[in-house]
Amino acid sequence: MNFDFTDDQHEIKRTARDLLGSRSTFEKVRHAAEGKAYDDALWTELVGLGWPGIAIAEEYGGQGLGSVELAILAEELGHAVAPSPFLSTVTAAAVIQACGSDEQRSRWLPALASGEATGALGVADGLVPDADAAAVIVLLDADGAARVLARADADVTPVDSIDPTRRTARVSAPPGRGEPLAGEGRHGTDRATVAVAAELVGVSQRALEMTVAYVKERRQFDTPVGAYQAISHTCAKMLKDTEGARSATYFAAWAADAEPERLAEAASLAKAAASDGARDVTAAAIQAHGGIGFTWEADVHWLYKRAQVGAALLGGSAPHRARLARILAARLSPTAV
Amino acid sequence: MDLTFSDSEAAFRDELRAWFATNDPGPEPSGEDANYAWRRDWQRRLAEGGWAGVHWPREYGGRGATLTESAIFFEELGRARAPLPANVLGLLLAGPTLMTYGTDEQKDRYLTPILTAEEIWCQGFSEPEAGSDLAALKTRAVKDGDGWVVTGQKVWTSGAQHSKWCMLVARTDSEVPKHKGLTYFLMDMEQEGVQVRPLVQITGEPEFNELFIEGARIPDENVLGGVGNGWKVALTTLMNERSGLAFFLQVRLRQLLDELVEEAAARGLLDDPVVADELGRLHMKAEILRLTAYRGLSTIEKYGAPGPEGSLTKWMWSETNQELAQFAADLLGADALTMGNRWAYELLRSRGNTIEGGTTEILKNIVAERVLGLPRLKGATA
Ligand SMILES: Cc1cc2nc3c(=O)[nH]c(=O)nc-3n(C[C@H](O)[C@H](O)[C@H](O)COP(=O)(O)OP(=O)(O)OC[C@H]3O[C@@H](n4cnc5c(N)ncnc54)[C@H](O)[C@@H]3O)c2cc1C
Repeated sequence: MNFDFTDDQHEIKRTARDLLGSRSTFEKVRHAAEGKAYDDALWTELVGLGWPGIAIAEEYGGQGLGSVELAILAEELGHAVAPSPFLSTVTAAAVIQACGSDEQRSRWLPALASGEATGALGVADGLVPDADAAAVIVLLDADGAARVLARADADVTPVDSIDPTRRTARVSAPPGRGEPLAGEGRHGTDRATVAVAAELVGVSQRALEMTVAYVKERRQFDTPVGAYQAISHTCAKMLKDTEGARSATYFAAWAADAEPERLAEAASLAKAAASDGARDVTAAAIQAHGGIGFTWEADVHWLYKRAQVGAALLGGSAPHRARLARILAARLSPTAV
Repeated sequence: MDLTFSDSEAAFRDELRAWFATNDPGPEPSGEDANYAWRRDWQRRLAEGGWAGVHWPREYGGRGATLTESAIFFEELGRARAPLPANVLGLLLAGPTLMTYGTDEQKDRYLTPILTAEEIWCQGFSEPEAGSDLAALKTRAVKDGDGWVVTGQKVWTSGAQHSKWCMLVARTDSEVPKHKGLTYFLMDMEQEGVQVRPLVQITGEPEFNELFIEGARIPDENVLGGVGNGWKVALTTLMNERSGLAFFLQVRLRQLLDELVEEAAARGLLDDPVVADELGRLHMKAEILRLTAYRGLSTIEKYGAPGPEGSLTKWMWSETNQELAQFAADLLGADALTMGNRWAYELLRSRGNTIEGGTTEILKNIVAERVLGLPRLKGATA
């Protein structure tokens, strides 16, 4: 039992943190969000590093690493609030890889792995982040089945979501359009769900770091506000929520590859914890910043917005908690539920 | 990252399960004294099986288990629905503190009777005027010949009524700043001058006590870690307190939650979305506790001593345990409120979880100051 990253995994995390720290500054995030565009230079660089294909099998042009490595990158891109279609591309690919036939994988994955095409994943008729710019869309229908569509086969209506760092759209496609994926959609969406949870952990971590730095400096009544327990205890809770969500997310990422029979439960655990955590942590970050935290000028709102949209993606906390209860009840007594 | 247990860890778990399968503590008796006798007997059997000091080094009669194996032990202990051994404070707190700071003579003298439950230990830290602010304690030890004479009062001393020895922190120098004038003593409870008075708790049971100390004598050889070093030695004890129990407690929490889910299913309540949501949330919190505790283990195994992060799991456990009891009361209504019902007991006992072993507020201070590096308010230290 070793819950620590391997040296290679630590290295991936460090490299990603360093790179994004200089390339995806809040200045860049702001520029991209206000211009309703991605940071193309950043995307080109990520593609050059092979990040979109990190968890795609080598035979389809990916790096053939696992869900843990994918989670590490998603967390760091969340930490940087990177204005890029990374998360959407890798989650679409995750579903195709887990649920597609060999033929479907060979058709769609190489372009996603190489970054030649970007992807999007979402529920039919719901808000789908990055769909406006995507070439490949994986659509989840109400019955849980997944379809893959070329952009031209889907009806895509751009929508401004509260998170302008993503190019969101409403996507629908009448039955019959696109190709149903061969396997059971759940196996793919659970993997994708873990990546979304990882991004939320990164968002929480950044909000915590920014807040701690701010409350050490900001003074009122001749005292750094971080010395007041209403604030320091809030920060302690931000850490607890972030670390708890991180434990659940790393476990789920590990389970996705090592013990897939535990993935359903682990994915819901991770998503519920990360959604609750990120919403609470980013809201607390705004509160601890006071008036400045409420302005467009300060950067904490990018985190709050990422958290809100991410928390709703692929099921919010409530449906995942209810799923956990069903899984637990079924385990305890096979006849309940 | 690899969360599968290694072959040797799995073998360790199998060996334990086999042992528990043939060693059953029997049903829990009611009543404080009978319960205590049952737990003492249980510890003797654990000791005979070589399991009592599972995390103690072999040279001290322990099993020399790794941290992960020790976690497995506590998980299996909980899973077997066995009680914590009677001398839990001796095993988890006094023993490791003695190993860190004791002289060879002290280790020879005290460690074995701790393992076998022959001599029970209690923790005499808190005082009426010094709880969270432990360093403010007033109990005084005055040098007298080749020993010390102690006068003062301790409070909330768990298990004092059964104890032979007390980990006592007392002030030996009132001229120096408060953290510096303390000394850690091993005090014999069976002497004139030490009076134990039970305090009835919220549950109606006396588990902790007041301790009145009036002219009790402690010989020089019972100073642990040197005169004036009491604060440092006490911190070692507290560190062990917060890191040791997590796995046992988390299994207990899980068992309670499983029982509540079965109860909800039996009453046909699982289709109620509010019920499903809350049970799912409690399941999530219990799992987060387990996983975070395991993450902590890997960190300790790699980087050394437990850090203040251990405060996180204590906080998570106490909060979740309280929420579980409260939700059971919501769900089961009047049934959960009649004395004798286990949920009624949990509803009452769990209130102590966020106070014992450091209050949640103090844990938050520790996280804020030592993990996040936030400035501390004048006077309010952790
Ligand atoms: C079941 C149980 C068993 C126990 N067993 C033992 C034992 O065996 N041995 C032993 O020595 N002690 C034992 N204790 C005592 C326990 O460690 C203390 O009760 C605890 O440390 C709190 O101290 P206090 O009771 O004096 O509360 P106080 O310190 O007076 O606290 C009162 C309130 O003020 C808050 N507070 C205090 N200081 C701060 C601060 N700086 N910042 C924010 N809030 C603060 C507290 O969180 C609490 O809410 C036990 C307690 C319980 C409940």
